Amino acid sequence: MQPDLLRDSAALCRQAKDNFIANALPTAKTEDWIYTRLSDLAVNPADKVADEVASENAVLSFASGWLISGADALPAGVSLTDMQDESLLAEFAAHLPDDHFLSDLSLGHATGAYVIDVAAGAHVETPLQLVFSGGQSGQSAHPLIYVRVGEGAACQIAEIHNAEASLSAPVMVMTLADSANVDHMKCQKDDLQSHHLALTIFAIAEKAQINSFTAAIGSALGRHETHAHLNGENCDVTLSSLYLGRGTQHQDMTTRMLHHMPNCTSNQVIRGVLDDTARGVFQGKVLVARDAQKTDGQQMSRALLLSRKAEADAKPELEIYADDVVCSHGATVGELDETHLFYLKSRGIQEAQARNMLIEAFLLDALEIVRHDQLSEILEHAVHDWMNETLS
Amino acid sequence: MTLLEIKNLKAKIGDTEILHGIDLTIDRGEVHAIMGPNGSGKSTLSYVLSGREGYEVTDGEILLDGESVLDMEADERARAGMFLAFQYPVELPGVGGMAFLRAAVNARLREAGKDEVDQLAFVKMVRAKAKELGVGDEMLKRAVNVGFSGGEKKRYEILQMALLEPSIAVLDETDSGLDVDALRIVSEGVNALRGEERGMLVITHYQRLLSHIVPDHVHILAGGRIIASGDKSLALEVEENGYAGIINAA
Repeated sequence: MQPDLLRDSAALCRQAKDNFIANALPTAKTEDWIYTRLSDLAVNPADKVADEVASENAVLSFASGWLISGADALPAGVSLTDMQDESLLAEFAAHLPDDHFLSDLSLGHATGAYVIDVAAGAHVETPLQLVFSGGQSGQSAHPLIYVRVGEGAACQIAEIHNAEASLSAPVMVMTLADSANVDHMKCQKDDLQSHHLALTIFAIAEKAQINSFTAAIGSALGRHETHAHLNGENCDVTLSSLYLGRGTQHQDMTTRMLHHMPNCTSNQVIRGVLDDTARGVFQGKVLVARDAQKTDGQQMSRALLLSRKAEADAKPELEIYADDVVCSHGATVGELDETHLFYLKSRGIQEAQARNMLIEAFLLDALEIVRHDQLSEILEHAVHDWMNETLS
Repeated sequence: MTLLEIKNLKAKIGDTEILHGIDLTIDRGEVHAIMGPNGSGKSTLSYVLSGREGYEVTDGEILLDGESVLDMEADERARAGMFLAFQYPVELPGVGGMAFLRAAVNARLREAGKDEVDQLAFVKMVRAKAKELGVGDEMLKRAVNVGFSGGEKKRYEILQMALLEPSIAVLDETDSGLDVDALRIVSEGVNALRGEERGMLVITHYQRLLSHIVPDHVHILAGGRIIASGDKSLALEVEENGYAGIINAA
């Protein structure tokens, strides 16, 4: 018999499920869901998956949203707890937005739920990899991941998604205590038939730094919603992403950069490349609260269309209540620059090769901000695979 | 021997005809200069020769080694031996300089049925040629033209020309934006590439470039036509009297 599942036992989860059922799917009238339509969502959370014996160093493996190995192979300074305790769940859920579709969806249908702690002062050299795979058609995975990075700790966390379930809907909350320093990388290469609906919340305390990069490559429909709460002074946040689409893929990158405190810096570079009839959406809100003076917030979104039938929608938003801030945003959507192509061709380089050189440059340029060699290598491989499959 | 033959060349951008019938013949080993006031069609001529999209040839002919290039795209013309040194070299963020140079040289070698150049040998060759032009290793490592000064960009153009060894090089306002020292370095680079196997078409607004790169023939382009041709003394006449005198005489 299955043990009690969190989604059945915890009041918070039952409440979320009730909300989910009562509200149904977002429509064109739902805020933030204008460009992304959901239908045929297979919400059928997987049951607990049996543990595997073998663990790789610093790799936490998840199947169908359940941890199957790696808890015994964590680097020094990192520990993992099952989030069975309702007070832990409550602490996690307190970071989630109210009345939020993605939050209700996965809280209400939670598969595995885990707390990863990085001890205060720990400097973890080995990147911690969370690998999400497995699953089957008709099934959904709703892992809840709560990462708490202690004061002054430094670490790298990579999420690698190769799932085959019909729906992967991870919810991650990552809190950074004072002066913590995190590199976060997410590489989403889920099955091309699947949906990936992710909610990621960063809560950042004083003098903490996070450098986060998301690459959306897989899934038929991907929604990567990320909220960064700058809760202390002198935080430094980079929240960048790359989305790639071909065929009929739909990639939605939705971000909220929430400056609650003064003297913080945020930077976002968003790049998209779309071929065939693929569609890309970037919605980026930068909110600067009344108290958040001396905020420096930058955001730049660029989409490259390789086909006349591809579409990119960009909705950058600045909402500023403080009066002494430097904020800017920009969004461009276009084809390859004709003058760039001509320059290469005038040197004898054939059109197809010239185009590939420029697309590759556009993509790899976006990865420049990934500071960690091992993480950027994973991303470069993923991008090269995509280029080989798309541009051959 | 005739290298490049331009016959009654007419070209337009959109609905506007810019070149109204140009005749010009360049033999191997010759350096021709085209001078002209702003808006005379100098840059248009360079783009039409190199095959830029959007520049439509409505009449006339361009023959390179006796073969028409009009149906060739820019890359085919380049592989056939045409080279354009840009007035405003284009910055290509993310495109590594070495990879770019190697792709260009290999394209030319493949066309000639030769083996592609080995990477190590190529780096050595580029460094040697770059050194002569005052292009440092640091510049070679950067993305194409990104963060280069005006003078560095022009030197980089000449480096590409030296590597590609074109049969006909069109230099579009190579002197623009150069100070005296940069002008000397660039001109020396160009002069080193003069030879019996190659023709050059030097397009410029001012005479000063032509005191460094001394032409065999000088043509004055005005209003989309060549209105006067002569030897290097014609350039000096422009320097003294301006274009107005020559235009009025024509």
